[in-house]
Amino acid sequence: MSEKITRRNFLKLTTAGAATAAIMTGCGPASRYVTREPYVKMPEYTYNGLSTYYATTCRECAAGCGIIVRTMQGRAIKVEGNPQNPINLGKTCARGQATLHGLYNPDRVENPVRQGRSAPQLSTAQVSWDEAIQTVSDALSKTNASEVAFLMGTAPDHLFDLVSDLTDAIGAPAPLRFSALSMFEARATLSKAAEDLLGQAGLPFFDISNADVVVSFGANFLETWLSPVAYTRGYAKMRRSRPRTRGYMVHFETQMSQTAAKADEWIPLLPGTEGLVALALGKLVAQLRGISAPRAFASVNVQQVVETSGVSMEQLTRVAELIAESHAPIAIPGGQALGQSNGLAAAEAILALNALVDNFGQPGGVSLSPLAPNAGAYHRPANAQEMSDLIAKMKSGKIKVLFIHGVNPLFELPQSFGFAEALHATPTVISFATFPDETALTSDYIFPDHHGLESWGYQRSQTGVMQSVLSGSQPVVAPNYNTRATADVFIEAARLAGGKLAQALPFADEVEFIQSKIENLIARTDGSFIAPEINAFSAYFQQHGGWWASSAESDSLSAANALGKSLNVSSAAASIGENEFFFLPFVSPTLGEAGANKPWLQELPDPTTTVMWNTWVAMNPETARELGIENDDVVRIVSEVGSVEASVYKYPAIHPNAVAMPFGQGHTAYGRFAAGRGANPTDVLAPSFNEAGDLAFAGMKVRIEKTGKQQPLSRLESRIGVYGEGMYEEK
Amino acid sequence: MQMTVDLNRVGAKGAIAEAAEGKWGMSIDRDLCTGCQACVAACAMENNISFVGEEDAGYGRTQHWIRIERFWEGAYPNVKIAGGYQPMMCQQCGHAPCEPVCPVFATPHSDAEQLNLQVYNRCIGTRYCANNCPYQARSFNWRDYHTMPERGNMVNGKLVFPLHNQFNPDVTVRRRGVMEKCTFCIQRIHKAQDKAKSEGREVMDGEFAPACAQACPADAITFGRIDHKDSLVSQRSNEGRGVKHLEDLNTLPRVTYLKEG
Amino acid sequence: MIRKFFKWAFSPMGRIAVAIAILSLFSLAAYGLYQTQQAPEQPIQFTHKLHVGLGIQCLYCHPGALRGPSPGLPTISKCWGCHQQIAKTQTSALLKPMVEAMDKGVGFTWVPVAQVPDFVHFTHRPHVAAGLNCENCHGDMTQVTIAVNPQVMNMGWCLSCHKERAAGDKEKLTKLTDCGTCHY
Repeated sequence: MSEKITRRNFLKLTTAGAATAAIMTGCGPASRYVTREPYVKMPEYTYNGLSTYYATTCRECAAGCGIIVRTMQGRAIKVEGNPQNPINLGKTCARGQATLHGLYNPDRVENPVRQGRSAPQLSTAQVSWDEAIQTVSDALSKTNASEVAFLMGTAPDHLFDLVSDLTDAIGAPAPLRFSALSMFEARATLSKAAEDLLGQAGLPFFDISNADVVVSFGANFLETWLSPVAYTRGYAKMRRSRPRTRGYMVHFETQMSQTAAKADEWIPLLPGTEGLVALALGKLVAQLRGISAPRAFASVNVQQVVETSGVSMEQLTRVAELIAESHAPIAIPGGQALGQSNGLAAAEAILALNALVDNFGQPGGVSLSPLAPNAGAYHRPANAQEMSDLIAKMKSGKIKVLFIHGVNPLFELPQSFGFAEALHATPTVISFATFPDETALTSDYIFPDHHGLESWGYQRSQTGVMQSVLSGSQPVVAPNYNTRATADVFIEAARLAGGKLAQALPFADEVEFIQSKIENLIARTDGSFIAPEINAFSAYFQQHGGWWASSAESDSLSAANALGKSLNVSSAAASIGENEFFFLPFVSPTLGEAGANKPWLQELPDPTTTVMWNTWVAMNPETARELGIENDDVVRIVSEVGSVEASVYKYPAIHPNAVAMPFGQGHTAYGRFAAGRGANPTDVLAPSFNEAGDLAFAGMKVRIEKTGKQQPLSRLESRIGVYGEGMYEEK
Repeated sequence: MQMTVDLNRVGAKGAIAEAAEGKWGMSIDRDLCTGCQACVAACAMENNISFVGEEDAGYGRTQHWIRIERFWEGAYPNVKIAGGYQPMMCQQCGHAPCEPVCPVFATPHSDAEQLNLQVYNRCIGTRYCANNCPYQARSFNWRDYHTMPERGNMVNGKLVFPLHNQFNPDVTVRRRGVMEKCTFCIQRIHKAQDKAKSEGREVMDGEFAPACAQACPADAITFGRIDHKDSLVSQRSNEGRGVKHLEDLNTLPRVTYLKEG
Repeated sequence: MIRKFFKWAFSPMGRIAVAIAILSLFSLAAYGLYQTQQAPEQPIQFTHKLHVGLGIQCLYCHPGALRGPSPGLPTISKCWGCHQQIAKTQTSALLKPMVEAMDKGVGFTWVPVAQVPDFVHFTHRPHVAAGLNCENCHGDMTQVTIAVNPQVMNMGWCLSCHKERAAGDKEKLTKLTDCGTCHY
């Protein structure tokens, strides 16, 4: 594209090229450029020209969907859903489909390297795996246990169990699991609210499939929220699985997300008032049902809610009527409602609304997600507060060695947390990244793990279905590069170190460790299969892609607790001044948190704006007109802690006082398809937390500055006729 | 006495070339479609569709065989996506506008499967067919996207493309200058037919699905024989919510969209 | 310019020159065509004649032909299964590459002889199921060492057989001459 070729040269080149091509390919045995190399020894179950299918688990997010990968002669060709796995029942999302573009990404860490913090370049100083293991072993054994920290991805997988065993044995702090997704979902707030109201920590499960009125408070459950494939199935059932009953859906959110667009009614409100609206609805529903308002809703002033939230009295009343008349209404708290300074109270108010309509443990109601079969207790990912604490420890030099696996905090955490400085203050940083992401390139060593499709493992399902699910992984292809399973590295390193470490991990390899963790399931007869001993059990485990309870669990939660508590939601929505806006970052529905390096995910249009390959700022067209901003004008969004630049997309479905921006782009590294593309909205997020320690990210106040620059966004939609625009003119 | 003339027999221009129902068909429930793009990604992975990059995407050169459309209706705050998301792909018209315009017969109609074909080795890239497609379902290979040097790595002086490992061997990798479009995953149709034949039976309803229908988390896409009245796709298409797009052009589309509500 | 060229081309010398040019182009093309039909260089001088003569069935080494698209090439361990029991294996110069490959655990790189372009989706299974024998398309393997193509495998050749076998059966003819049967 960049080279300018004149017509004359072009003709010359084509002629010469055609002649050469004709000579090179047209004649002689050389034309048979295809060669075939048969296996020396054919792997079992492989037939020439026929595909082999392997069941494993998708690692693109923490939902734990089962997938079946079609392979051909040792290459992974296509990802298909595992129809047996209860979470996704044979379906996949776009990110799961594109996982092959991760596996065969041209930018992977191919060898263990001494990186020496030489970002943004991947170091070429290759080390042997023996040296790598020695390095890990030394880091584990020669450092004071309290000065070692482990940072991992959100998914509670076998590696997390292994590292937990390791830290338990040496008395090191427990590993932290974190990802931007868990931050934007405000998972800690959700589980804390469940603990407060239901008496038990855990992720609530919202059975929308059997509900007839769904009231969602910013829960983008059709995009990335908790377990999107499972919730999409629930949505579909809610709409069309019952004769003559089509579930009705109302969605409160400041901007129209992909999920909101599927609702029958999208009701925009000011960010931070979701809890208030829930309380007001509760009060109105109690009135309509002719019961005295329980304590939880007693104190709310409905008129005041109308004023602060921007939701009209008519809308509130109508939604309240819908709920009151419904047989199975359900209210769902989403990340945007919870990631506020009043997030915990909002979560409790929304859960209390469910208590009011008495749907706890009912079909079409709220239950507590069952624990995975080999889980002791619900273990939530770290909240932003805990990440902040870790960063403080790192900065003050209390962490000497940091191990990072499956997470990219330099990109995923807001810049204002100061993770970059914290990394700088940590003497040894060892990354196990598969891809050359920002954090990996800023570490001392990268000892690359296999890609998810090259690895063994299991992943505990945390929510999505009322069945207890353990999804299993197995390699579907041989490792492409000189990578090694991180679990194996730790096991080897522990053996080298000896003593307590070696005792903690007395396993020959990763597979033996996994077997030790699923061994207790052999005795269970209520699952997807039965096997007499561990080898047969492991074989079935791989064949089925995991183990799950064959029937759904039910729980008997009491609503009394929830309603007896007095709830007070303060309005988080501050007033905004001139040229001030509420800032709403949201996780890109197509990219998720780690999809930016997969080119086909980049090429997927955002469902609502149809923008591809870039970041946009969604702004109400009316607001844009007032500010004199056109489509594709680059604006600078400035907060008290930072600024970020992106092109404006005039989005007709966003509150005039708010701007929204997708999270997922803005990488400075992470391969050729991600680096230098788009902007990262977390750059303007300040480290402020709610009562549950989650980041209060939604509705922060920002200013908008014009930059005078233009950067056209590539969109799938036609620009013709949109807001009177003609053909796009080149300037 | 009433006289009937079989227009097909006399080969009259404008004759409805075949029975209205065709063979393979699809129904798409717009009430269920959540716009999640899983079908788009699945289609790309199954059919070796190239991604074109930001700049070419901006020119409208994306190669999606299936895309999800959405049309705004109303103004804030009463704005909504009219009728819900709408996946759009080749409608496999029974009477396709793309077919008669090809000067080299690269867009023939498959009499065996009742699909619109695109024969890559015949195509010379006039793009007449894309011009004539009222659904804008065809996309053109403006470059050899798959072998662009910036997508490969130099290994020992040779350019290698790790992404090529993912290619589906059942589908041709298209080169520059060739038109392409949705095939209803004809490779899967053939595979299922071949398997059924080897077992001495007919293809069963629901035995296989195109990549989009297989992936769809909401099960909005149903695929099967529309000439079999008891197939799931026939039942869904005929349940009363069905709409065929631009039917008044007499294109006889094989895809039925089910309205919201 | 062009007019001048035509004037020259119709002069006696011009005619000869044009004729020579056309002839040389034609012979070049013919030579090219001839070259494409030559058996390519293979890593090992495998003699089909000998193996078939010993009574080994085609499907023993190429079992994929029964199941799907590709008949497959035998793995070296399959060769070894018989050859390790044959004394000559260790002494023959021709077999040396195989012994070496087996020792090192690396494969051979064969060059396929019967091959269709990648826009053609050929599958062996239905052809075998239709009662065709291997030699119908691949020639008599008892006569050749390295496999050679007995005919040009082009579309006309495919279609002539398809038409012949579907004669009288309209449905079958439709299926067997449909573009979409092979091209997608």
